[in-house]
Amino acid sequence: MSKPDFSRMKFFCDEKRCIHCDGCSVACAEAHELPVSISRRKVVTINEGIQGLEFSLSVACMHCTDAPCEQVCPVDCFYIREDGIVLHDKNKCIGCAYCLYACPFGAPQFPKDGAFGTKGVMDKCTMCAGGPEETNSAKERELYGQNRIAEGKVPVCAAMCSTKALLVGDAEEVSNIFRQRVMAYGNAGKHNANHQPYGWSKAYGK
Amino acid sequence: MANTWGYGAMTNSLGDIQNSKAIIIFGANPAVNHPVGFMHFLKAKEKNNAKIIVVDPRFTKTAAKADLYAGIRPGTDIAFMYGMLHLIFKNGWHDKNFINDRVYGMEDIIEEAKKWTPEKTADVTGVSADLIIQITKLYANNTPGTLIWAMGLTQHTIGSSNTRMAPILQLALGNMGVAGGGTNILRGHDNVQGATDFGCLADSLPGYYGLAEGSWKYFAKMWNVDYEWLKARFKSPEWMGKKGFTLARWWAGVLGGNPGEDAIYNAGTNLKALMVFGNGLTSTAQTMKVKEALDNLELIVLADPFVNEGAIITDKQNDVYILPAATQFETSGSVTATNRSAQWRYKVIEPMYESKPDHEIWFELAKRLGFYNEYIAGMGKGDKFVWPDDATDEIARTVKTIGLTGWTAKRLKNHTDNWHMFDEVSLRGYGKMAGEYYGLPWPCWTDSHSGSPVLYNINLPVKEGGMGFRNRFGLEHNGQDLLSAKGSAPKDSKVKGGYPEITKENIEKVLNITLTAEEKAAMGANWKVDTSNIIAQKCMEAGIAPYGNAKARAKVWGWADEIPMHREPLHSPRTDLTKSYPSFADKKDHWRVDTRYVSEQSKQDWAKDFPVNLVTGRLVNLNGAGIENRASKYLAKLTPEMFCDINPDLAGRYGIKDGSMMWIHSPQGTKIKVKAKYSHSVAPDRVFLPFHFAGVLQGVDLSHKYPTGTKPYAIGESANVVTNYGYDIVTQIPETKGGLCQIQPA
Repeated sequence: MSKPDFSRMKFFCDEKRCIHCDGCSVACAEAHELPVSISRRKVVTINEGIQGLEFSLSVACMHCTDAPCEQVCPVDCFYIREDGIVLHDKNKCIGCAYCLYACPFGAPQFPKDGAFGTKGVMDKCTMCAGGPEETNSAKERELYGQNRIAEGKVPVCAAMCSTKALLVGDAEEVSNIFRQRVMAYGNAGKHNANHQPYGWSKAYGK
Repeated sequence: MANTWGYGAMTNSLGDIQNSKAIIIFGANPAVNHPVGFMHFLKAKEKNNAKIIVVDPRFTKTAAKADLYAGIRPGTDIAFMYGMLHLIFKNGWHDKNFINDRVYGMEDIIEEAKKWTPEKTADVTGVSADLIIQITKLYANNTPGTLIWAMGLTQHTIGSSNTRMAPILQLALGNMGVAGGGTNILRGHDNVQGATDFGCLADSLPGYYGLAEGSWKYFAKMWNVDYEWLKARFKSPEWMGKKGFTLARWWAGVLGGNPGEDAIYNAGTNLKALMVFGNGLTSTAQTMKVKEALDNLELIVLADPFVNEGAIITDKQNDVYILPAATQFETSGSVTATNRSAQWRYKVIEPMYESKPDHEIWFELAKRLGFYNEYIAGMGKGDKFVWPDDATDEIARTVKTIGLTGWTAKRLKNHTDNWHMFDEVSLRGYGKMAGEYYGLPWPCWTDSHSGSPVLYNINLPVKEGGMGFRNRFGLEHNGQDLLSAKGSAPKDSKVKGGYPEITKENIEKVLNITLTAEEKAAMGANWKVDTSNIIAQKCMEAGIAPYGNAKARAKVWGWADEIPMHREPLHSPRTDLTKSYPSFADKKDHWRVDTRYVSEQSKQDWAKDFPVNLVTGRLVNLNGAGIENRASKYLAKLTPEMFCDINPDLAGRYGIKDGSMMWIHSPQGTKIKVKAKYSHSVAPDRVFLPFHFAGVLQGVDLSHKYPTGTKPYAIGESANVVTNYGYDIVTQIPETKGGLCQIQPA
């Protein structure tokens, strides 16, 4: 384990690898036994069928450092763990949906089976870290799903990802894995410039 | 494939694709159908800068990851590949030494390719000449290149020619028998390779032994049953050697003789009973014919973990039995992966409720029919056998043709237990598994052989998985030698050039050895029936592949087309081209049923009344007929309804709105009502339908027909209601990847 004290848990989806197989979203729903109307994780494809412009990406709560959901919550039900995972207390949540309006990723989910569509308390990706209830208790499982982090397991979405597009873990580790992929393009020879996804040369000189 | 170089199987492996410099994909969509395996394609791109080229009627999820994409018109792959070969031969990009030493009959291909200029190829395929040139140059100049295909290439009236054309392209470029090359056919489901290897075919005994008397006698011996007893099971002896009906047209066996139906040849009777083990009946073409056949059977038995929707589409009221078969998690045994590797699958839980694994159902049936003792005799332990270990060992003892001798239950379990000790790319084992490849990809000639990760690779000794092409088509043709040239033998071979398949008669001469009298007495007539395995042992010592070392052949004598020729689909949108490239002559008694080709094609101007091309395929969340997946709420949620991908331009011409219902009519007079989904993944001359739905038939909801509590979360029209009539000239696979339809708003 490298530098656990400084860890900050992050998701990253490598769009060059994501093929929209929905392995992540189905694994998530299955593992946490979610109601069908709740999509903690979604896979989206933009510009479907258009050559050169079609991309797929898996999205869930991004566990922001300065989380807008936490900022706007009127009952202060959010809390951010030391490792950066953003969680909330369903017993405090009033289901106002302010967090949904604030979230740039559409992560907060609300049950859709009520009379006016959005009813009940919010649910979202926990990065498989449960909630404020006693770790791995029946109550935690009932309200927040599995707590795989407490068991030392990778969140189920990334564990199931068929192409390992979806990475999760300590931000530095995630970054290292992705950097290795990017640098591998470089090792392949002459054509590397076209393959570096985010303008490596722009960011770091030549 | 088997008719080109000996075996009809994927030549390399998924992991080996990471060694490729170029990957060309015809009629396969691995990003959707093999999502985990597709990681190797992406890694090839990342690590190797491999170029991915997709040739497909649809811009698929695989195409989204490609460097070049060609939106080919369905059913024109042969024309496309000749167009590539035209440029390859013209520019001298072919591998002359490889062709000279290891290929027979390429001259005829060179001659035919001369006709396929980029302009002519563009006219037939609908792909621009510029793009054809670009693709050919990219593929030919980045070697090794691997060629991938799946059902998009095979499900045509010319499917068997397609599957010869792709190997020919690879042979021309010298892409065979090398890491990163090969023809990598992706099997569509778990254990499809195993199912064909073990004889789930209508023209063969297990291990592709065929149906000749000698084969039956060999199996009678290996099964420990009397040959005469086996023979007596047939109506008369000649039926022992005849092919059966195929999955594609079993229904013709029920309906044959009815007005308007093709004639059948089935010993003077129609089929009366049907037993189905794990086949979604709505996943094959012509669902309305399947339904009619089901309605007319006397007995239907459907064994599946979920309700087989054959039971839902039929109107038959009595004598339809649904047996609860156990899932793969409730039983154990070996499964064969797409790359000829085996893996042991352990039982996870005991069968739930009253369900039983397939073999137990068959054992019970055999007991009641009175041949249980004969049924289990091959294992040689009476009723004291251990399942499935003793059955696996019986297979290892028996199946020599594809080299399963090394596949004992003990070895296969050992591989699975130590799967972490193998390299994902080369499949090579390390530590205590050194010297073996994962899952012992066949041929695995002896009980200590390494397995063969790359077929036809002469850069390895035979005992480490090397081999030439199989000597399967005789020693000479038209006066030319069919054995491979001098210098083209596997590494460390005692014979430096070609040699015939090894028999008891020629072994001493070819291997230059002298056998003892005991060895001679114990030895079988040839390598395929030598249960003593002395032939294989002696061959390993001499670095010789028991099946010989011959040339691959570019032409197959005795077939309707000796070299692959472009022929338009039976229902072609280019009526003008059906004159220049007509289909085959109608074929009598084709797998027991007369089959129409040119008479159907020329019956009317199909394109006039059915102007839209129709292709079918798979979705990532569903599989086969979708029976088990649609019973999962989370999978059903992703595609809750049957739909049709349609280009907004095409839809607009017919006044079909995005998300509205539309009718699709087929040339056979059948129709389905589905939801229109606007998509740019299909060109404006074609539509796409997923084939995983059932439960709605020609606009009628069949929900009421599901037994209580068994209706899946998602039901819908079956695409195969409208897939067209049309069957391959050799294999009889249905032409589902290129038919016609008419559309209208509902």
